[in-house]
Amino acid sequence: MSTLLKLKKINLKYQTGKDSISVLKNIDLNIKKKETVSVVGESGSGKTSLIMLIGGLEKATSGKIIFNDQEITSLSEDEVSEVRKKNIGIIFQSFYLIPNYTAVENVALTLELNNFKNPEKEAKILLDRFGLKHRFNNLPSQLSGGEQQRVAIARAIAMKPELILADEPTGNLDTENSIMIANILFKYVKEEGSSLIMVTHDPKLADKAKRKIKIKDGKIK
Amino acid sequence: MEKLNNPSEFSLIFKYALKDLSRNYHKISSIIVTLFISLFILSAIFTIEDSLKKELNDNAKALLGGDLEIDYNRNQGNLDLVDKVKEFATVSQMIEFSTMLSTTGREKNKSLFTRIKTVDEKYPLYGNVVYEPIGAYERMQREPNTILINESLSKTLNIKINELVKVQDQNFKVIGIIKSVPDVSGFVAFGDWALAGKQTLEILKLNGIGSFLNYEYKVKFNQNDKPEEIEKRIEEIFKDDQKVKLRYPENSASGIKRIINNFSQFLSLVSISAMLIAGIGIANTLLSFINQNNMSIAVRKAVGFYSGNIKTLYYLQLFILLFIITVVAYASSFLIVPIADKYLSDGLGLNVYPVFSLLNFLKIFLVGLLVLVIFSIPTISSIDQVKASNLFRNVFQNLQFYYSKRSVVLSFVLLSILILLFTVGSEQPSYSLGYFAAFFICLIVFFLLSKLIIFFLKKFKSSSIISLKVSIKNITQTKSITPITVMSLGLGVTLLLTLALVGTNFQREISKSIPDIAPDYFFVGIQKGEREKFEQGILNMDPNASIEIVPMVSSGIVKINGLDPNTYIKPDNDSYWVIGTERRSSWVENIPEDNPILEGKWWDLSNPNQLQISLDAKVAKDLNIQLGDIFTLNVYGREIDGKVINFREVDYRDLSINFAMLFNPQFAKNIPHEYLATAKFNSNKFDETEMLEIMPSLSMIKIADYLSKVTAVLNKVFIAVTLISAVTIVIGLIVISSAIMVQGKVKEYQNLVFKILGFSKKQIIFSSLIEFIIIFKSVILIAIFFAVIGSKFIIENIFELVWMFDFKVLIYLGFSIGFVTLILILLTNLKYLNPKVYPLIRNQ
Repeated sequence: MSTLLKLKKINLKYQTGKDSISVLKNIDLNIKKKETVSVVGESGSGKTSLIMLIGGLEKATSGKIIFNDQEITSLSEDEVSEVRKKNIGIIFQSFYLIPNYTAVENVALTLELNNFKNPEKEAKILLDRFGLKHRFNNLPSQLSGGEQQRVAIARAIAMKPELILADEPTGNLDTENSIMIANILFKYVKEEGSSLIMVTHDPKLADKAKRKIKIKDGKIK
Repeated sequence: MEKLNNPSEFSLIFKYALKDLSRNYHKISSIIVTLFISLFILSAIFTIEDSLKKELNDNAKALLGGDLEIDYNRNQGNLDLVDKVKEFATVSQMIEFSTMLSTTGREKNKSLFTRIKTVDEKYPLYGNVVYEPIGAYERMQREPNTILINESLSKTLNIKINELVKVQDQNFKVIGIIKSVPDVSGFVAFGDWALAGKQTLEILKLNGIGSFLNYEYKVKFNQNDKPEEIEKRIEEIFKDDQKVKLRYPENSASGIKRIINNFSQFLSLVSISAMLIAGIGIANTLLSFINQNNMSIAVRKAVGFYSGNIKTLYYLQLFILLFIITVVAYASSFLIVPIADKYLSDGLGLNVYPVFSLLNFLKIFLVGLLVLVIFSIPTISSIDQVKASNLFRNVFQNLQFYYSKRSVVLSFVLLSILILLFTVGSEQPSYSLGYFAAFFICLIVFFLLSKLIIFFLKKFKSSSIISLKVSIKNITQTKSITPITVMSLGLGVTLLLTLALVGTNFQREISKSIPDIAPDYFFVGIQKGEREKFEQGILNMDPNASIEIVPMVSSGIVKINGLDPNTYIKPDNDSYWVIGTERRSSWVENIPEDNPILEGKWWDLSNPNQLQISLDAKVAKDLNIQLGDIFTLNVYGREIDGKVINFREVDYRDLSINFAMLFNPQFAKNIPHEYLATAKFNSNKFDETEMLEIMPSLSMIKIADYLSKVTAVLNKVFIAVTLISAVTIVIGLIVISSAIMVQGKVKEYQNLVFKILGFSKKQIIFSSLIEFIIIFKSVILIAIFFAVIGSKFIIENIFELVWMFDFKVLIYLGFSIGFVTLILILLTNLKYLNPKVYPLIRNQ
């Protein structure tokens, strides 16, 4: 399998007043196409920061990130947005749905952004696939946690991205919902051949991935 | 609000209220700023009005010139009766008249129509005449042919002390300059005037009508006498004299008081509008503030606070804030008084000082409290929507205004109290009520407009532009803030445009040129035998001058249909001037071209022995006169009955010869009369001083000079209107900015999600832009409509000026307001456009 993502000597520092906190230190990482990777580590170790850097939501202090042979660390914010919108889907622990958009509208938004012809129709097909047919026109506040996360996954995969980034996707869910979400996610990755980088505290979920990376004090162990 | 259980609970909540306020006041800075600005303006208006009224009341006797005034108008009056008063009180006689005053001994002498007041040694009975140099006033009483002139006259004609001036055929030496006189109530406040000794009258030829003579006797009671008894005694002396008018200190400066009341009513209404608009901003900011505290409210509920307790906590914070702001705003308003003092002492010779009034302070606090509570009820009630269970669900829930039946009723009651506060006791309660009605009609229309925009945009679905789709979604989404944005923006823009149109109409009146048909000069004091001499004098200087000469007679309306009109027509009637004092009237054969008949017929030639009256239609309407009504006129002491047979449309603003009453010439031509004339010149050869050589007792009023005096007054009014507009603009912008802030957290969150999904910054900005354009273009059209109606009403009914539609101004202002608002919106939105991902992802 060819390489989808390369991280070279990545450093991330945050400035808090006069102090500088080193969040990630000299990270080198290669992710192959169709590979599933789980990232584990203690709270504050830098897991989420790593995902944000890969997703282009944060700029690395130094180092290079190469996605599909394109260095994204040297791109402008809008250029990174363009890469993200076509190739990267992100799933959060807190779902991050737009509160005033219905389930269908939340999913359709990504499709509309990519100029799909029938975004709402496509969104409905996706939601139906995740068992949310009866929730098409509900607002996020009217959905359970599991349902909200399914909508968020549908939104993330709507463009069939090559890479899915998931930050504690089951962190806010009960066991039953966690299992369901994990199954949906891994089934999709397998069927569509996307790569997955998933941050989790759940050892069972982490074990589902082909490769497990442990981060401690900002370094890959 | 729910009741608190016990005092200890209240003290706990009070403690928390103080703690929260001291830590969070910067988050509600826009509430503090808008409240301060609107309360400061209101305080300034109340304080200046109060100071001015106190000054007028404290100096009522000085303003009137005595404890009582006996006014005989154009006649010397019954001196026997006046002598009777002298037996038990001090009487000072003064006569005012208008005449031409000219410079002498210069290469090119100048003349000016001047009001001269002759006074005796007893003047002034109250207050002081301020003049320079020392001793000049006493010299004026002792030495014949001496005169004191006011500063304006000195500047206009560039006259220096000891210079000789000419009045009619007499030379007078200017021996001093007057800074102020106490009795401005009955005397001219603006313009050019002079003081002279009583001997002056004997050496000048004054005639009744042309000189605008006015005889007054000011009475000062002896210190030990009871004023009520003396007043009764004087009333008894004059009870059978119908020509006399007795005035008391409480009636002094009634004209000035009326202007103050009218003007302060207008400014108060504008300031309460600014305050109500600020109220919308307050509601927005408060909602934004409560949204920011969403989590802490949920935590408080989780640890056992009742919803009512938390609401009380917020109300208490507002109450404390309001109290502090009211104190600061009221105290700051005292700083405005010296500016008003400078302004008024220059114009009216009145001095105002800051006067603390507990009642005013309470009134301002009450207004602030009412506005604050009315607008915070739906906001603070939204606290009920926050559930402790929210803490277990990490979905961001934006709170919305919450209306319960109880809160709607309470808001309505409080609003009614607010309206009553501004209506009851105001100069024109119907205007105030109408103003509030218009305000709330606008509010409802803008609310309906927002619903209409949402309705149509929901129908509009086919678009391939993602930014347009997002902006339409933002406008039409459930619980969208479109209605509140449209209402606050709509009201703000309406008020701004209305005031702008009022301002530009004022400006136009100020800068407008003299009407085409207006003459260059008015001439009064042409005696019956001087008509030819006058005409020849004019034509010798300018053979092409067009002259109009009409007869003029002075008469007073003694009765209307057998009843004394003064018994049932009040001084606040717009046409009271017609019955208040004697008026000048004329007669013509044919209907004047610029005075078309609106009702009735022109002279009935078959009835030459009957006095027929043609009346100004507005006067007829104001005084409720019908065709066929009988006026009993006093003409040179003889009472004549006249029948009103038609109503004419009279526009005094065209500055041509206009009379409220015209008589049929068949009857009137035998009445002793003099002439009023106008002249329009084709060259600049006319010389006032040369004309005075020919006719020394002629008075000339140059229209350009008259207009410049009106302009000076209007300019001052315009400054006040502009200032209050500027304040409303600032408040309006703060409100718009606060409306965006309400969306702030939602926008920030939404933009974050957009960013994650791959939206470019350009697309996000573009969607904000489209959203603004959709809302603003709808709002501006309605706002222009309301502004046109509102400004037309204010200009025509309150200021009684000509209103004109100014398309250019509206377009210019519409674009300017739109541009400024857009910049403000983009600036306010800037911090939400590019949200920092890390803190938001981490829920910080």
